[in-house]
Amino acid sequence: METYAFDIDVKKDGRTLVDIGDFRLRKNTVTFLFGESGIGKSIAAKAMFGLLDPQDLDATVNAEPYADYVAKPRTVRFQQNGCFVFQEPSSHLNPLLRLEEQLTEGSLARAKTGGEVVRSLWKDSDAAAIRQILEVFPKPYRPSGGEKQRILCAMAFMKMDMLPEGPPAEDALFVFDEPTGSLDNTYRDVVLEMMFERFRRSRCTIVMITHDYSMISVVTGRYPEMLDSVVFEELTLGRGGLQLAEFAPRTYTGWVEEQRKSRQGGGRREEREPVLRIESGLQAFGRTLHFSREPGGRTHCALELFPESISYLKGASGMGKTTVVKMAIGLLRGTHFRGLLGSVPLTERTPREYYARHVWGKRMTMVFQHADEALNLRSTVHEVLSGLPTTRTLEKERIQREVRALFGESADGAFLDRKVGTLSGGQKQRLNLLRGLLLETDVLILDEPLNGLDFASMRGVLHRLEGKIRRGSAILVISHNEEIFDAWVAPENVYYLSGGPAGVSPLA
Amino acid sequence: MRRLLRYDDGLWGTFWIAGMGVLLAWDLAFLNAPAFARLVEALANTLFGATLAVLFTLLFGWAAGVGGYLFEQHKRRLPSLALSYFMNLIRSIPQMIGILGGYIVLTILIEREILQSQLVQLLWMSFTISVFTFPELADVIRERIEYYRRSDFFDAMLCSGVRESRIINFDILWKNSIAHIAQKLVSTFAMAIFLQCSIDFIISVGLSTDVSLTNFPVTLGGMLATMDSKQDILAISMLFEEIGYWPNLLFRHLQGVSAAFSLVFTLVCMYRVSNGLIRRHNL
Repeated sequence: METYAFDIDVKKDGRTLVDIGDFRLRKNTVTFLFGESGIGKSIAAKAMFGLLDPQDLDATVNAEPYADYVAKPRTVRFQQNGCFVFQEPSSHLNPLLRLEEQLTEGSLARAKTGGEVVRSLWKDSDAAAIRQILEVFPKPYRPSGGEKQRILCAMAFMKMDMLPEGPPAEDALFVFDEPTGSLDNTYRDVVLEMMFERFRRSRCTIVMITHDYSMISVVTGRYPEMLDSVVFEELTLGRGGLQLAEFAPRTYTGWVEEQRKSRQGGGRREEREPVLRIESGLQAFGRTLHFSREPGGRTHCALELFPESISYLKGASGMGKTTVVKMAIGLLRGTHFRGLLGSVPLTERTPREYYARHVWGKRMTMVFQHADEALNLRSTVHEVLSGLPTTRTLEKERIQREVRALFGESADGAFLDRKVGTLSGGQKQRLNLLRGLLLETDVLILDEPLNGLDFASMRGVLHRLEGKIRRGSAILVISHNEEIFDAWVAPENVYYLSGGPAGVSPLA
Repeated sequence: MRRLLRYDDGLWGTFWIAGMGVLLAWDLAFLNAPAFARLVEALANTLFGATLAVLFTLLFGWAAGVGGYLFEQHKRRLPSLALSYFMNLIRSIPQMIGILGGYIVLTILIEREILQSQLVQLLWMSFTISVFTFPELADVIRERIEYYRRSDFFDAMLCSGVRESRIINFDILWKNSIAHIAQKLVSTFAMAIFLQCSIDFIISVGLSTDVSLTNFPVTLGGMLATMDSKQDILAISMLFEEIGYWPNLLFRHLQGVSAAFSLVFTLVCMYRVSNGLIRRHNL
């Protein structure tokens, strides 16, 4: 099979951002590119698409100065025939043009399928709702992250529709950089379906950069006939720079199957007292939130966490899952909050001092979802961990042992002195998790714990969580990695969050 | 060294040290010994006084910024109101008038022979200046805390059991705001020199019959206010009539010109250092 071969080297101020000697991309194939966050997947993809800023970066592709590479006819064709869907949609959209205008701008003006594509990507919305979204400017209306991602995908699909049917499209490169990061599984599947539908027609070259390994199950399960044209690859950072290796789908699907067989900490709930109980009906930001045991459940229940168990809180994006856990841990004040931490009642009137003295870091802790925002980027790795109440009296050696267990043997003394801001996204996420794992609390709340991790790191984190559960902790997880946590968490410990405007009973 | 000179703040800081070094070397060679000794003492007192003012400002500003935040967070209404009233009161008094008031108190203490030590007098002068400069630093510190308080990292550290005092002092102020604080302190250093010299100039007419500049520690401002230096400064105007007169400034009028040059050169360099910090750290 024919390939595009790239040797990419990108530096900034003398610091290597990406160095990959043999980046081969199969032509007329869909490549799913996995890998830890922040190791350079996006930069490598932008480099090959000709999108890097030569003023800002010192880059070469195939040993050629970057400006020469960008001017090459093939790179020009990549851009003319293809499309790059940015990970951060705001950087792709023009804030001064209505979304509808952006969908008909430039070469997209010749596309004839805009309406159909948009309707498919908003299949749950009526025409009036879609019109409302398209008529706004990206600012100050600020469409949600999911809406913006769907707009960008629509642009790419419209461009694919413009490719001639029949023979494989030459140099039509479509890069989707985390296109479903803000979408729930339903719309993720819609995006995949639309992508494959168009790929079948035009046989263009597609690169799908993602951390969502559950796409493997979707592709192998729903599109078996496409597997000859699909490659799963993983980018890893080794001592010699970035390396690209094929990722066997069975590695993931088999592992998920194993997890399903050895579910964590279910059963025996009637024998034990919950360590944390939160009643349904709490209110925040004008919404009343309820827990139930089945999706869209009309029977409400309390959310209960038991020692030696893991529970999973599910709910639509934006429903208020993070709000609920922030209320539980005393960081956010809502109303009608009734909780029980062991035998201690918690309400919205429980003073902040109580949480500071008796709860935070002692009985409960929480790992926030965005490691970049949850960590002090100017601290060193050691400083992040040395302020914790349990490690205050511990030596650097103990911290180093714990760091090695999660980061591998390469995490030596120098690693402890590295600034958090210089770590890759995946390393930051592991450090973010380690801060929670080191604390001996009764309750550990994890908000999107697998964000930005590669497969090996994901397994390492789940292994550490198993240890935590065995030592008696109760863990509550919020995650969009539904396939993994559905397999990992006992069904009786799965809760669904639903909500409606405050003061209106959802049963009414 | 190359790294230091890469940024404007390092470049101008180095330039200031080098410039002052050249000036002192020149004065050592060409200024008479008693005048040179006086100039060195004045320069040392001025810089020492400004440094002390910076240290006091840092101490008071940090305490007021952090204290104000903690009083408000922990709902200590009375101390919070008292602190805010005190800071607003200070802000309402023009700096020059306030510092002059401090000097009047100093004069009274000298008259009554309570404060005789020059070191303590310098401490008093610096303390007085810092009382009127610390609110600006307190505002910067408070602003930085408020900015980070809304961030996830503040909440994430809190619920990991990290003490709030550590988050504020170490993670927010030390790790994330040191450039902001340093920039404000450099400005304070320059402002302290400027205020000190301005006041010295004002009080050169004398605050009482018993106490005059001669009772205070000699500073650059005080030196400029002496008759010799005034004549040296006036000699600069000779250049308008006779341009060829300029070499005399470097030999015959060295005392006043050196004092004036030290002041202006220091203020210009500190202004540049401060601006350099703003640019380097995108403050």
